[in-house]
Amino acid sequence: MPDRAEAAAERTTTTTETTAGAGGARTAPPAVRVQGLWKRFGEQTAVAGIDLELPAGRFIGLVGPNGAGKTTTLSMVTGLLRPDMGKIEVGGHDVWLDPVQVKSRIGVLPEGLRLFERLSGRELLAYTGRLRGLPGAEVDKRATQLLDVLDLAGAQHKLVVDYSTGMRKKIGLAAALLHNPEVLFLDEPFEGVDPVSAQTIRGVLERYTRSGATVVFSSHVMELVESLCDWVAVMVGGRIRAQGTLAEVRGEAPSLQSAFLDLVGAGRHDSGDSLDWLGGTR
Amino acid sequence: MTVLDAPAGTVAPAGRREGIVSVFVRLKLTLLRNGLRRSSGRKAAYISSMVFALLLAVGQVVGLIALRGNTHSTTVVVLLTGLVALGWAVMPLFFPSGDETLDPSRLVMLPLRPRPLIGALLAASLVGIGPLFTLCLALGSVAAVAHGAAAAATGVVAVPLTLLVCVALARSVATANVRLLTSRKGRDLAVLSGLVIAVGIQFVNFGIQRLGRAGGLASLEPAADVVGWLPPASAIGAVGSVSEGAYGRAALQLLISVLALGALVWLWERSLTKLMTAPDGSTLATAEPSRGTSGTGRSGLFALLPEGRTGTVMERSLRYVVRDPKTKATWVAALAIGLIVPMLNALQGTGSVYLACFAAGMLGIQMYNQFGQDTSAFWMVSLTISSTRDAYVELRARALALLLITLPYTVLVTVLTAAVLGDWEALPEAMGLSFAVLGAMLATGALASALYPYSIPQEGAFKNVAPGQAGLAWISILGGMVSGTLLCAPVIALTITLHVSDMRGWLWLLLPAGAVYGALIAWAGVRLAAPRTARRLPEILTAVSKG
Repeated sequence: MPDRAEAAAERTTTTTETTAGAGGARTAPPAVRVQGLWKRFGEQTAVAGIDLELPAGRFIGLVGPNGAGKTTTLSMVTGLLRPDMGKIEVGGHDVWLDPVQVKSRIGVLPEGLRLFERLSGRELLAYTGRLRGLPGAEVDKRATQLLDVLDLAGAQHKLVVDYSTGMRKKIGLAAALLHNPEVLFLDEPFEGVDPVSAQTIRGVLERYTRSGATVVFSSHVMELVESLCDWVAVMVGGRIRAQGTLAEVRGEAPSLQSAFLDLVGAGRHDSGDSLDWLGGTR
Repeated sequence: MTVLDAPAGTVAPAGRREGIVSVFVRLKLTLLRNGLRRSSGRKAAYISSMVFALLLAVGQVVGLIALRGNTHSTTVVVLLTGLVALGWAVMPLFFPSGDETLDPSRLVMLPLRPRPLIGALLAASLVGIGPLFTLCLALGSVAAVAHGAAAAATGVVAVPLTLLVCVALARSVATANVRLLTSRKGRDLAVLSGLVIAVGIQFVNFGIQRLGRAGGLASLEPAADVVGWLPPASAIGAVGSVSEGAYGRAALQLLISVLALGALVWLWERSLTKLMTAPDGSTLATAEPSRGTSGTGRSGLFALLPEGRTGTVMERSLRYVVRDPKTKATWVAALAIGLIVPMLNALQGTGSVYLACFAAGMLGIQMYNQFGQDTSAFWMVSLTISSTRDAYVELRARALALLLITLPYTVLVTVLTAAVLGDWEALPEAMGLSFAVLGAMLATGALASALYPYSIPQEGAFKNVAPGQAGLAWISILGGMVSGTLLCAPVIALTITLHVSDMRGWLWLLLPAGAVYGALIAWAGVRLAAPRTARRLPEILTAVSKG
């Protein structure tokens, strides 16, 4: 697709400094910088003072068990939730002081929030693109291509309320990509998605990061993170336990899964005798 | 021990009718009793609704017995039975999840044959508040119209017949529509039921008022003559016929009800068998006919809207009025009540042109809680608002979408009311006042949307506020209406001044004055709301995401 290639080329030129060589010296600001971020809900501390520095141009995984504070963190980073304390920068711009710069540079696919479900897939993209200030003709062109690539062309006139989980994630991803953001935040993008849709989403995301853009996504599926990401941050109980390249975080462990279990300190429970009837004589 | 935790061995094998019947009846009783095993608030609501229904049933019996001897007793009784039967027929469409034993998909894995299953389900359906209520009605009706031993004997047949026809009617309607009712379209329909009830009440109210004036119950007789031949009212009608000595008519009426019961059970059995043996196709993707609008998201009249955020937001808002059941229900209710109240009053000669302002007020309320109407999808809006200007354009576009419907409608209602009353002289001032009210509602609505957003649950027709936010909703709407009235005070004062100081020649001035004033305060309200919206985006998102 010429359009995406052009867009990609354009962005690569603007972000070359950021991505100059995978291990090269970074002079440009990181994609995301978080300092001393806190969020409490009543008695419960969801995010307890985290510091993060996510390099630009990488496929970044934010991993952790359920309730680790991943969604809360991503909500605060994308400006959807106000933090109690802390500073967040995206591409060097403060999320809360400079929303004009930040909101145009980020794409978001949140988890657990609705879409405008009474629009058809195509109408949803047309709506999102125009709200983003793109010219109508350009929105329609990009929407057509995204619907094709994401295998939604056949369902484009169906209301989103009638979409399956995988289709919703895909249309949400399309809406997040429409304005060609520099940084894409995805909260559990593969949760409840069938393998075919997951592969499609993967393909689009890999192509997108190759162009120099940054993807930050959260997941609790370690195999997925290990196969997709080159940079990982591990979050447990509202704190960051480890962050760095995949190799750094994995260390000596055979897989990210076992490295993660070591970090979390989860001993392998033995069920012992309590289920001894299971599989016994029937 | 409940049915549910009974060991499998005690359940009678399929085919032994009494066994299944008792299992289903006990299951129904367990479900009823489990209604009590909830939080104390829900328990209180459950008990009080039961007590209320019982009191109503008893009151009904007493009322019907008091009717005995009245010349119109048969008319009333037959119509009441017809009305209750209608209720039984529509109930499953509006409250699809009302009865868990009703859902055949829960039984599909059990080894049951259709015929004994029908008997068991029918028996289980007879347990509950609704059947008890209907039984009271039927007993009271027979008591009201039965004169003589023959009529009493007919009544002994008519009462169970009425009850069975009602229950079988509800069951066959529900089973025939179960695919629809468990689908998204069915749930949408259930949400719209609130609307039917809201508008229905207005008409019933009007009908009763008419009845009070136009010759009383006698005017209902033609209707009763027809309904008396329709099952199950015909069974009750038969009792009346026997009392009058018309035995042939009575036999025919009874026969109609019996045949109807047979037909309903047969229909029910057929759709139940089909449902339990055929695969569920409701989740299969249907081939969507591709619409003509393949190139662009803009089509038809929407192409006339301006480009940019204004047109985009207006288009989305207007689409939601048509497609979102919750939004549609509130809109249609506002439109209907906004028209019915001034018009019915005008038709009865008790109205005033000024009542047409009611329409403006009802429609203006739609501006309240704009972001709550988005539900948590508001994040998509929130992500694209990065300045006060964006928030201003967003709010203005929503107000404009609203005006596109409300402005012509307000004019229409005002003109119609004036026409019915023949009070053309007061039209300009009433219209001017309506515009001022509309402007005030838009202004306060925009501010309330920014300052007091709350969640609107998407399920259920009667829940418009998420738990814990009811206070917020009331403050927002009541405060808004009070301040809206205060905002209109200058126009009201001007109207009164012109009337009192006998400068009636200048009253037409209120039309432009009201329009300009309304536009100005609406603009000011949106202007004031914009920075507050832009500042409070995360707080608004949190508040509207609880549904």
